[in-house]
Amino acid sequence: MAARGFQGAVLRGFGARDHVATVVGVSRVAPHFVRVRLSAPDLVEGLAPEPAGWLRFWFPDHTGSDREHQRAYTVVWADRDSGEFAVDVVLHEPAGPATAWVLAARPGATVAVTSFGSSRFAPPDPPPAGYLLIGDPASVPAVNGILAVLPADAAVELYLEQQHAEDELIPLAEHPGLRVHRVPRRGETSLAAAIEDRDWSDWYAWVATETGSLKHLRKLLRERFGFPKTDLHAQAYWAHGRAMGSLRRTGTPETGPVGTDTAVGGTAAGAPEPAPAGPPPDRTVPAGRWRSQAAGELFAPVKRTIVAAGALQAVITLLQLAPFVVLVDLARLLLAGAGAGGLRDIGIAFLVLLTTGTALGSALMLWLHVVDARFGADVRRRLLAKLARLPLGWFTRRGSGSVKNLVQDDTLALHSLVTHAIPDAVAAVVAPVAVLVYLFAVDWRLALVLLVPVLVYLVAFAGMMAQSGPKIAEAARWAERMTAESAAYLDGQPVIRVFGVAASSFRRALADHTAFLADWQRPFTGRKTFIDLVTRPTTFLWLIAAAGTPMVVGGALDPAALLPFLLLGTTFGARLLGIGYGLGGVRAGVSAARRIAVALGEAELVTGESAPRDAAPGTVHFDRVSFGYRPGHPVVHDVELTLRPGTVTALVGPSGSGKSTLAGLLARFHDVGSGAVRVGGRDVRSLTSDELYRQVGFVFQDAQLVRGTLRDNIALARPDATDAEVEAAARQALVHDRILRLPRGYATVVGADAPLSGGERQRVTIARALLADTPVLVLDEATAFADPESEFLVQQALSRLTRDRTVLVVAHRLHTVTDADLIVVLDRGRVVETGTHAALHAAAGRYRALWDGHRAPARVEVPR
Amino acid sequence: MIGTVIRTLIDLIPAQERGRAGRYAVLAVVSTALRAASCLLLLPLVSALFSTTPADAFGWLGALTAVTALAWAVDTALSRHGFALGFALLDRTHRDTAERVTRIPLGWFTGERTATARRALAAGGPELVGLVVNLLTPLLSAVLLPVALAAGLLVAAWPVGVAAVLALPALLVALWAGNRISRAADAADARAHSALTERVLEFARTQQALRAARRVDPARSAAGDAVTAQRGTTLRLLLLQVPGQLLFGVAAQLALVLLAGTTAVLAVRGDLPGPEAVALLVVAVRFVEPFTTLSELAPALETVRGTLADIRAVRTADAEPGAEGAIEVAGAPRVEFRDVTFGYGGTPVVDRLSFTLEPGTTTAVVGPSGSGKSTVLALLAGLHQPDGGRILIDGQDATALPPAARRRLCSMVFQHPYLFDGGVRDNIRAGDPTADDAAVDRAAALARVDRVVEGSTPVGEAGAALSGGERQRVTIARALLSPAPILLVDEATSALDTENEAAVTEALTADPRDRTRVVVAHRLGAVRTADRVLYLEDGALVEQGTPAELTARGGRFAEFRAHHERSAAWRVGRETGSAAPA
Repeated sequence: MAARGFQGAVLRGFGARDHVATVVGVSRVAPHFVRVRLSAPDLVEGLAPEPAGWLRFWFPDHTGSDREHQRAYTVVWADRDSGEFAVDVVLHEPAGPATAWVLAARPGATVAVTSFGSSRFAPPDPPPAGYLLIGDPASVPAVNGILAVLPADAAVELYLEQQHAEDELIPLAEHPGLRVHRVPRRGETSLAAAIEDRDWSDWYAWVATETGSLKHLRKLLRERFGFPKTDLHAQAYWAHGRAMGSLRRTGTPETGPVGTDTAVGGTAAGAPEPAPAGPPPDRTVPAGRWRSQAAGELFAPVKRTIVAAGALQAVITLLQLAPFVVLVDLARLLLAGAGAGGLRDIGIAFLVLLTTGTALGSALMLWLHVVDARFGADVRRRLLAKLARLPLGWFTRRGSGSVKNLVQDDTLALHSLVTHAIPDAVAAVVAPVAVLVYLFAVDWRLALVLLVPVLVYLVAFAGMMAQSGPKIAEAARWAERMTAESAAYLDGQPVIRVFGVAASSFRRALADHTAFLADWQRPFTGRKTFIDLVTRPTTFLWLIAAAGTPMVVGGALDPAALLPFLLLGTTFGARLLGIGYGLGGVRAGVSAARRIAVALGEAELVTGESAPRDAAPGTVHFDRVSFGYRPGHPVVHDVELTLRPGTVTALVGPSGSGKSTLAGLLARFHDVGSGAVRVGGRDVRSLTSDELYRQVGFVFQDAQLVRGTLRDNIALARPDATDAEVEAAARQALVHDRILRLPRGYATVVGADAPLSGGERQRVTIARALLADTPVLVLDEATAFADPESEFLVQQALSRLTRDRTVLVVAHRLHTVTDADLIVVLDRGRVVETGTHAALHAAAGRYRALWDGHRAPARVEVPR
Repeated sequence: MIGTVIRTLIDLIPAQERGRAGRYAVLAVVSTALRAASCLLLLPLVSALFSTTPADAFGWLGALTAVTALAWAVDTALSRHGFALGFALLDRTHRDTAERVTRIPLGWFTGERTATARRALAAGGPELVGLVVNLLTPLLSAVLLPVALAAGLLVAAWPVGVAAVLALPALLVALWAGNRISRAADAADARAHSALTERVLEFARTQQALRAARRVDPARSAAGDAVTAQRGTTLRLLLLQVPGQLLFGVAAQLALVLLAGTTAVLAVRGDLPGPEAVALLVVAVRFVEPFTTLSELAPALETVRGTLADIRAVRTADAEPGAEGAIEVAGAPRVEFRDVTFGYGGTPVVDRLSFTLEPGTTTAVVGPSGSGKSTVLALLAGLHQPDGGRILIDGQDATALPPAARRRLCSMVFQHPYLFDGGVRDNIRAGDPTADDAAVDRAAALARVDRVVEGSTPVGEAGAALSGGERQRVTIARALLSPAPILLVDEATSALDTENEAAVTEALTADPRDRTRVVVAHRLGAVRTADRVLYLEDGALVEQGTPAELTARGGRFAEFRAHHERSAAWRVGRETGSAAPA
């Protein structure tokens, strides 16, 4: 094998495997930019399709030595069926090994390729405010890969450094939100100087440039804009001005492992760079704030307590180790032939240590629980306050599962973070460090010997992790899939039983999952056994004995110095390796804390000032309303619409046309982006929540019953209503008789002892809305069909509810709104037609098309 | 706890791997013995080092080296067997569990048990692979090593050995009790936490209602007060946690004191030479160490115990017998219910129900929600076994045979269209795996699948890539393709889509086979296709006859029909149904 220097050896140590790739074709994409198509079926087979993933190539030395040079290239295309893949190569003058090889490459030529330790790009979750991508020709393939996976509504700022004017010819992927800034290279600082000086709060930055540029960019982004580590991926793709020849002669490793200056994209040789022209301009914008850092803010009130608790835990950990030191003393004493007096002292020392440690441990645990209970209650109260002021749309968009995770699982994770994870982590770090220091103090030579198995472990483990890198993500996907598959398998049991197991994909998925796990884990069994053996106490015991015996016999070591090693050294490896494990709990807790802090930081509804306009009570006016969930992506466009008092207005349109969103704006589920929604002449944003919902009521498919009795539920908006009023509303809603049939009638508590069907629950909420008696009502027509068993009754109740109110109805079935006073046809957030059914039907426009389309497949008579 | 885990494991190991399990157990014992030996070799080794002739230690070092090397070899083999067992477990456990699931009566699957079964099927794959190597092996050696060391100590210095023998059960009890207390405290902790959380969660869940009713602030302070009030309760419960977490640590230190003290006393009395006493101190520490390992394994053991308990719950659930026995029919059969009773947990859903379905007819089952309509269908399909009464198919008692015999006679359209991840055609073919392409095409055409979606379209996970109407049509085509002589249709209740209603009606009218058909109808369209109507209420038959007869009678069915006719004519903003516009 050709000489690959230190790094080649390290890679081999990690177990990276070489593949031989055969050139299939070479094509020039741009003047200095070549695409090489290669074939390596076994390599492509194991390649995870991930954006910005790269391969390590070993190019022969272009000057004729037997050295091989490693260069990494982004995989721009791969196809499992043909076993082929392609990379793009930037050509340099004078040619380095990669350029020389590519220029000479013809179909059939081969090169060694390793897939190992590639970084991967995955869009962060939750999505950032935007993506700041900074690169140059060498990183364009990676940038293209990233652009392909970014969501269409993402904002993307791309800064591209150019060395030649022709660099513009290198094809760039398209993205709807992409803005490209091309920056000619005039030295290391020119790119950093070109980045717009603005507030980059919550943006995610991905930077892959030349080493020198990267240094300045990193400084700018971190120090100036405030990018936290978690939201910044920075990697050097090449180094300027380092000619290959000098590198080879000195034998300096050209590339390091991931994260250092891996030369992805090739190397440029060139003249020294001109000094930057003048200092960078003054920056005036303050540094941004990132949601990812919000956890710290959440913990601010308990930070000092946690630090103090951590310190106390450190003391306790030391107290738990102290008996071993006392044992060493005891041993010395026994060797010296001490009497009973010395023994008594030792015994007392033991007992003191034991009681102090136990007392302090109990105190710490109690203290932390007290602190946590106060902190947890405080967080929950803050969540309650926040939930009360968030736009209702926040709940509908997040979904109940995600709200539940936040309120339930994340607060639980917070609890275990404070009470368990932090002390555990402190103990996990302090114990091995203390032992290490102690053993080094006793005899540094023997202590060094103990580090050998730890090093062996680390190398073997890191190699295993790097090799199974993509598999770990795949395993997570599998776990998710198997949960979904088994849920479907259980749901589908009746089907499977009637049609036989062939009707289910579960068994196949199970077999595939098993095969995946086996393929992933089997190759590691040998190595796992090895690292287990290396770090077990008997191995350390033997090492201590094997190293210590000759030292003692040779007189280089006092035999008593061997005792601390025999007592503490055998579990030293396990302790040291436990550090990572101990810190895992903290990571989980911190990300939960971040999610809570992000929720606590969400924008609230605010009541502003706005001059009222003249309008009859019960009039609703959408005044040139636009709205979007993300800036630049409106869901509702410039809607102008007036609902006259006491009329029914129906919103119709294909799904995704924005009709539910528009209706939600009237109930202030969200605030408009521009324009205004006015009720009785007043902007809904100038009304307090109470003022608004005194005028606007809504009935949607999701019948929400609150904790309490059925009476409480009906009288929710008017707790002072008399029994007669409550019953009257229930009668109107056709649910009174049903309630009386329940053993406890109106006193029935909602939940387990109220076996109400969907239609019955729906009618309870209609009774509630009747009693609330708002002049304006927003209604989802699907409510009328939520339960076929009692849809007749729900419909009758709805009809009574809509009487004499201003009604805005979201319609799914066109025939139910033919009597509406006004039908508004929406398409992609715009009003495209308005009128009565008869007028719109006659007009033969969008409405007519919807009407005809809706009817066509349902050839069965709907009785009329 | 360990016992349950090991018992379940032995139960899970496939028969052909039992031999390997035996070899594994033997190797585990040998491995522990070697570890104990290497530890006990310290006695002469350390004694020699502290003696006047330290060079004697070289001989013992050689012995230690040999034992260590042998232990590596044995442990490598042990680990190989352990992994092999792990892979065998992985391979078999889920497959067996999945098979078992199909034979457990559907009534078993309550919400909680379904969750258990889902975990048993989905979770723990990677866990099972490493189960033996990462958990069982350390567990066995941690339990056996102190025993072996105590035995060794009895020989080397019997008073210290006696102390070890005394400490052994005490430590195990402390470990067990500490874990038990911790677990109880954790459970109390979890309960308190969920009580605290529930109020916040409910507050979040009912925001729409609370805001619309302008009750946000009172509800918020009520929930806030509850959170504050529960804080005290939580704290009191947590007092339990402290002894649980400290018990074992204290016991381990006391055990160390006991062993070291005994050694020291022997040395001071002159019964034991100093160097030997020092060596015994080292062995004493080694003796306590495995217990610490055990306590560290406890959380992992707890997780595995949970996983194994889930698997065990499914594997020990009562299952139906296999599929022996068949019902002979020629063409569409006559189906008779005679006093059929069925219920969940004592409450009858269907009570002494009797009716007859004539060969080749279509019967609509109608009634309010909870009247037992779908249960009738499930009983017919062999998805439930009656608690009492008989189901006769062409005069043969189907209830005397396993439910699978009934299932073979039935094809069914379910309320919730369940498809598996694959193509549309593959899903249709599941109705009759032996059908040729032409037959599949015919079924697709009958259900009008061909008009809405291409045959090669992947349906996505659980059919998610298709719309509700498309899914429904595919399941209808699947049911039509099946040659079974009984066709059962459970109409979907979700109703946003008029398409679905049409699809079901078409399925019933377009089916060219001679079959006895039953449809659970929620809407008039499906009722119109029926020759007869059974009207159920509270699990009992209250009316039956042809649709015309029942309409004329002016009873329950007539009311149902009138409601539905008016419902179909309902318009937003109008009180009663009247003529619809063109």
